[in-house]
Amino acid sequence: MAEQSRLRAALRLVEGPQTIGRGPRFWAGFLVVLACACAYPMFADSYDVGNNVYFFNWLFMAMGLSLIWGYGGSLSFGQTAFFGVAGYCYGVLTINLGDAYGLTLLSLVLAVGFSAVFAAVLGYFLFFGRINGVFLGIVSLSVTLVLERFMAQTAGPQWAIGSARLNGFNGMGGMPSLTIPWPGGDIVLFPDLPLYYLTLALLVVVYLALRMLVNSRFGNVLVAIRENPQRAEMLGYDIRKFQLGGFVIGSALAGLSGVLYTSWGNYITPASMGMTAAALPIVWVAVGGRSDLTTTLVGTLAVLIVFQMLTIHGSQYALVVMGILLVLTVLVAPRGIVMGIVDAAGRLTRRKEVR
Amino acid sequence: MDIFNLIFSFLYQFGDAFAFLVLSACGLAVIFGMMGVINLAHGEFIMCGAYVSTSAVHAGLPLPLAIVAGAVAAGIAGMIVELLVIRPLYQRPLDTIVATWGISMIVTQGTLIVLGPSMQGVGTPFGSFTMGGYSYSVYRVILMIAAIGTLALLWLMFTRTRFGLLSRATIQVPHVAEAMGVNTNLIYSVTFGLGAGLAGLAGGLYAPTMTLVPTMGASFMVEAFVTVVVGGADIFLGTAPAAAILGVIKAALTGWQGQLAGQIGLLIAVIIVIRILPRGISGKILKERA
Amino acid sequence: MSILETRKLNKHFGGLHVTGNVDFTLQTGEMHCLIGPNGAGKSTFFRLILGEHQPDSGQILLAGEDITRAKSFQRIRKGISVKFQVPGIFKELSTRQNLVIALQHHVPAGMLREEVDRLLEFLKLSGDQAQLAGNLSHGQKQWLEIGMAIALKPRLLLLDEPTAGMTPDETHATGEMLHRLNAEGMTVLAVEHDMAFVRQIAHRVTVLHLGKVFAQGSIDDITADPRVARIYLGEVDA
Repeated sequence: MAEQSRLRAALRLVEGPQTIGRGPRFWAGFLVVLACACAYPMFADSYDVGNNVYFFNWLFMAMGLSLIWGYGGSLSFGQTAFFGVAGYCYGVLTINLGDAYGLTLLSLVLAVGFSAVFAAVLGYFLFFGRINGVFLGIVSLSVTLVLERFMAQTAGPQWAIGSARLNGFNGMGGMPSLTIPWPGGDIVLFPDLPLYYLTLALLVVVYLALRMLVNSRFGNVLVAIRENPQRAEMLGYDIRKFQLGGFVIGSALAGLSGVLYTSWGNYITPASMGMTAAALPIVWVAVGGRSDLTTTLVGTLAVLIVFQMLTIHGSQYALVVMGILLVLTVLVAPRGIVMGIVDAAGRLTRRKEVR
Repeated sequence: MDIFNLIFSFLYQFGDAFAFLVLSACGLAVIFGMMGVINLAHGEFIMCGAYVSTSAVHAGLPLPLAIVAGAVAAGIAGMIVELLVIRPLYQRPLDTIVATWGISMIVTQGTLIVLGPSMQGVGTPFGSFTMGGYSYSVYRVILMIAAIGTLALLWLMFTRTRFGLLSRATIQVPHVAEAMGVNTNLIYSVTFGLGAGLAGLAGGLYAPTMTLVPTMGASFMVEAFVTVVVGGADIFLGTAPAAAILGVIKAALTGWQGQLAGQIGLLIAVIIVIRILPRGISGKILKERA
Repeated sequence: MSILETRKLNKHFGGLHVTGNVDFTLQTGEMHCLIGPNGAGKSTFFRLILGEHQPDSGQILLAGEDITRAKSFQRIRKGISVKFQVPGIFKELSTRQNLVIALQHHVPAGMLREEVDRLLEFLKLSGDQAQLAGNLSHGQKQWLEIGMAIALKPRLLLLDEPTAGMTPDETHATGEMLHRLNAEGMTVLAVEHDMAFVRQIAHRVTVLHLGKVFAQGSIDDITADPRVARIYLGEVDA
């Protein structure tokens, strides 16, 4: 009984002051979107479906950054470091362990765990050193840039872990895809329908879980620290622990993105940790509206799709457009474009109600 | 004799590291120290300086003049950026970082589109000299002198000129400076231009030693960040001593294990330093003095 | 029994002694005001008690326990609470949310809603609970922060100019509220400039001047002391 009511209390946190969207209308919309996402493969080529999983892969990192930056107020510019570390980690583990017996799933967990530990160590030095936003940003960016350069010079045969060659600048390939052990033949998650549904399911679970997290007591303290760290501390909270906690969770999500990406393309390169790669999550999250999970999700997906279309049609201009988008967002809609639209819509409906 | 050579070799390595750290960081430090803004387009101003000075050499200008031209070009570009993007964001320092990152993306990719994947360099001038069987580049020694000269000039500028006085007044008490009739907007604009110009100077000075590619700015960023983080907000009490300390670390590790070890060592050093001195060396010194 | 005691508390920045050998004792259940001209070291003294600055030497005792080396949040958990001079509230969060964050630390989940409602009522902010705290009037912000400070049910409440910017009516109401809280056992230490307010609440008054305890006594003693009048006019050096 007690457990049941506790569960119900936890579930109630999907709605709360820290997330946009509540009530039957929002959730009806959510279900419609989800149903469309589920139905989409029926109307599309399975090759396209597999390709579009690519977009989903990045959303975990974006939501993690929203948690760290949007909710916690700490700018981390180096989320790609955790993306890359987890990606390489997955590659090394699976190449050595193989894909039988669900070992790829174990590798996924270990790789994400490794990136979380890495984030915990780095975050300990940063937050317990009371580093403010600016320095946090540049140290995390430096970390990812150095990691990129380190991986780029691992070209020779001496750079191998077990049977996994790191392969320097060209990146590491040939790792197996995620594989689910199944009686009567393992299910290999190639970029195809099963992977699409699995990633979608993971996305929904992470999205809902994060909504509960940010509306929980933990989330309350996180936004309190963003608003006024001194006051939060003077209410008796050890703010360093909360900042570290948010950072580790957000970074583990970046790690999850890294593993999914590596498994999806059977490929990871040092460039995934470089300057440009590091900038892109900032663009997605800033443009969408970093202070809310839903606007982050919608914004990221929109920017990713626009970016992809630009890359196809005028390849080289895509990054210029992203840069312009970022500058304009900061200047014109500092809370994010999707957030701006939500605000405007909210104001319109409220005005109607008043009349 | 051998000991002497070893010491000279280490000093050369140290001087080289020190020069690189000072030159790549001082533009960043000036802007950060005065305006609290971390300019993520710093690397692109370095790139701008390198490209302009190299083009100037190709056009027939002597190298020293070409370097000055690179610095001036980057400085002007900086003032334009300040006017268009930074000025509306003074009250929002974190947003400024994000915006300057956007600029960095635009410039890097724009350069790639307009000028192609690389530019022909000019080659390192002055050749080399040998000592105790090892050869050293003359130009690198010139770079060390340039780094010290830059620090000296900045010192003179901030302590002996009207601009220096006004700018220091503006950082410390902006509203008082404003009330006294100082045009703080102009001060910020010139400061940002100065920082960008210093970045351009670094680019011009190092252009003959590097491959010119649109993303070359990124290779200065880690060193520049690390120096500013360790040094804190004050260029003379912070950046210069930080560069000296980090120069020793970098020279030792580079001599022992190569370039990359030096860089990783720097990064680990900085992460440990911030745990001990959150506001950098100058924060520590200023706190003691204040 | 003293709730707070400082022994030879020293803090200097460079050559300037901001607090010099401050020996100060606050009795449990007392309402005590700290006054003194600008630069007397009042704010630094508060920061030392709160752990935002570390003293160069000396000791701070909370109800007999040495807390000199404790971190700020640990001191809060031991029963100190503070209201800052500039309202330290969470501007982009709703008024209600501000109080939830203050209360959730020690109020069990089932009671939280009730407790928040009660506190809102007490602060006369029930009607504005959905407002962003940043949009409240200045007096309401002050009240909100006092509410957040007392939500922790502290043994010792520190107030840094609690009535700054309040109307005389609001100031008086604040004083009455403090008397009520004091009657329930809360010790109060306030930095204050408004002498009418000091007269309304203080059992005892301490005058800080140039980082030292200059005079101590009842408000009548203090106002009758000609030396105190002179330091406000800048005529006494130490």
